[in-house]
Amino acid sequence: MSTCIHLSMKVPRPFLTSFFFLIVALILSIAIGSVFIPPVELWSALTGVTSNETFRTIIWDIRLPRTMLIVLVGAALGGSGAAYQGLFRNPLADPYLIGVASGAGLGAVLAMSVNWPYTGLGLLAVPLAAFIASLLTVYIVYLLANIGGMVPTTSLILAGVAVSSFAVSLTSFLMLRSTGEVRRALGWLLGGVSLIGWDVTLTLIPYLAIGLTALLLNGYSLNVMQFGDDQAVQMGLNVRRAKVTIVVAASLVTAAAVSFAGIIGFVGLVVPHIVRIWWGVDYRRLIPLSIIGGATVLLFADVLSRIIITPQELPVGIVTALAGAPFFLWVLRHSKNQGLW
Amino acid sequence: MLRKTLLFTLLLVLLTACVAQATPTPATLTFTDGLGREISLNGPAQKVISLAPSNTEILFAIGAGSQVVGRDQLSDYPAEATNVTDIGSSFEALNTELIVSLKPDLVLAAEINTPEQVKQLEDLGLTVYYLKNPLTLEEMYDNLELVAQLTGHEAETATLIESLKARVAAVDEKIAPISSRPGVFYELDATDPAKPFTAGKGTFITQLIERAGGQNIAADIDGYPQLSLEQVVASDPAFIILGDSAYGVTPESIASRPGWENLSAVKNNQVFPFDDNLVSRPGPRLVDALEELAKLLRPELFQ
Repeated sequence: MSTCIHLSMKVPRPFLTSFFFLIVALILSIAIGSVFIPPVELWSALTGVTSNETFRTIIWDIRLPRTMLIVLVGAALGGSGAAYQGLFRNPLADPYLIGVASGAGLGAVLAMSVNWPYTGLGLLAVPLAAFIASLLTVYIVYLLANIGGMVPTTSLILAGVAVSSFAVSLTSFLMLRSTGEVRRALGWLLGGVSLIGWDVTLTLIPYLAIGLTALLLNGYSLNVMQFGDDQAVQMGLNVRRAKVTIVVAASLVTAAAVSFAGIIGFVGLVVPHIVRIWWGVDYRRLIPLSIIGGATVLLFADVLSRIIITPQELPVGIVTALAGAPFFLWVLRHSKNQGLW
Repeated sequence: MLRKTLLFTLLLVLLTACVAQATPTPATLTFTDGLGREISLNGPAQKVISLAPSNTEILFAIGAGSQVVGRDQLSDYPAEATNVTDIGSSFEALNTELIVSLKPDLVLAAEINTPEQVKQLEDLGLTVYYLKNPLTLEEMYDNLELVAQLTGHEAETATLIESLKARVAAVDEKIAPISSRPGVFYELDATDPAKPFTAGKGTFITQLIERAGGQNIAADIDGYPQLSLEQVVASDPAFIILGDSAYGVTPESIASRPGWENLSAVKNNQVFPFDDNLVSRPGPRLVDALEELAKLLRPELFQ
C-alpha cells in the first residue's frame, strides 16, 4: 500500500497530454464512418457552409451526437471506475461491482418483454427501466451490506457479487422465455449506442454533471480513505458520509450511462490503472484524469468498432474487452513496480 | 403609353396569380403504419430501402424490384436482390450513414426492427413505414396490398393475390375430404438432440401444416417451445420436417441421434428437409411453403 501520495510522474504535463489525446480521438470519431467524407467536405459540413445535405446529415445527425454520447459514457465509466477503485481499495474494482450493470440488464430485459406504444414516453421505457432497476439494485446491496450503521467495504463487495449473480440469472431466464426479444436484449447487453440523437445526449448531461462533480469534490476524501476506515476516521474524515456520497454519485453516473449505452466493460477498470501508472495515485488528480481518459479510450474503441469489419460494426463492448485486456497487460509490464497497491 | 404599360403589367400579374393557383398540388398519400404512426408520401415511393428479407421478397414479388435501392444483409431472395446495395443487418447494426447517403423516399421496416431503430431513422429525416407481421394468409395479402399502394403497383398486386388465393384454394379442395391427420414434428433447432426446438401455436408453420392436412404435435404450446425428446417419442409423429436443413441437418444425421432411431418417421423414411425461409419470412412464399408441405404430407394427391 502506497504511503507516499505525491509520486513522481512518468509522463509530464498530465492535463495537457490527456486533452491532446482527447482532441485526437474526437477528430477521428467525427472523420471516420462507413461513408467516406473528404477532409474539405468535413470542414465545410462542420462550419455549416456546405450545400451537400447528405454530408450535413451524416455529420450533424449521426456522427456528432454519437461522439458526444460516447464522450459522456466514457467519462462516466472512467470517473466512477477510479472512484470505486479508491473506495474499495481494490485494483479489480470496476463501476459494475455493486450491481449497476446486472440491475440495469434486468430492468432493460423486463421492459423489452412488454410492447410499449411508439410514443415519446414509450420509447423511454427501456432506458428508464434500466436506470431505475440499477439504482434499486445498488440500494438493495447497500441495505444488505449495512451492519449496524457502518458499511464495511468487504460486505459491499460480497453483497454486490451475490445480488449481481441473482439478477444475471433472472435476466438469462427472461431472455430464454421470450425468444422473440433475445436478439434485442443481447444487442443491448453487449454494449453499443442504440438510441442515438441529441435528445438522448442532452438527457444524460444533468446526471453526469451532478455525479461527476460530486466525485471530483471527493478526491481528498478518497486519498484519506486509502489508509483504511479506522485510520481515516481518526484523521477526522466522516467516513460513512463520504462512502455514501461516493457510492451514490458513482452509481448514478454509471446507471445513467449504462441505461442508454448498454454494458460496456473494461473502460472503468483499465483507464484508472493507466492514469495511476503514468500520473500517480493522488485522487484529486486521478478522478479528473480518469474522466478525460475514459472518454478518450471509449472514443478510440468506438472508432475501431466502426472500421474493424467495415461496412459492418462490432458492438463497442466487444472491442473494449478485446483491445483493453492485451493493452492493459502491455502497460503493466512496461511500468516499473512503484508499489501502487 | 403609360396606361398601356400599366394595363399590360396588371394583366401579367393577374395571369401569374391565376396560373399559380391553377397548378395542382402533388397528390399526398397518407397511411397509418404498424406502430400507429402517420406516414405521408408525395406519391408512390421510387427509392425504397428494405430492412427485412420478408419486405424485400414482397417488393420484388409485386413488381417494385427496380425501386429498391437498398436492402438488409440477410435479403437473399430473389436472386436479383443480392445485387442491391447491402445496408447492414437489422439484427446487429444498420449502416445509417449509407442509408442516408442513398437518399431513399421510403424505408420499409418489419417486426424484426426495434422501435429504437425506427426512431433513429425517423430522427434522420427519413420516412419509415413499419409493416407489422401478418398472423394469417389473409393478413399477408393485406400487407401485399399496402406495399403496392406505397410503391404504385396496385394492379399487378391484385393479379398476384388472385393467383395466390387460387393456389391455396387448390390445396384446400384436395385436403378437405380427408379426415385423418398425421402427426408432424417441425424441427427448428436440435443442437441438443434431447431437447429440440419447434414452432407451436400461432406460428405460420402450424397453420400451414394444418392446412396441408397434418397436425403439428406442438400445436397446443405457444410460440417456439423447446420440447424434450420424450415428448416427441410419446407423440410419435408420422413425419419429421427439418426446418434446420440449411444448417447441415439431414435425414441421415437424424437417424444417428441416440433415441431418435425408434421414431416411426425415421423408420419409415418420412424425414424431409425444408427451407425454413419459406415460413419464417411472412411474404408470398408462404403459399410456396403450403404447396411444399402438401406434397410432402400427401404425395399421392400433389405431384
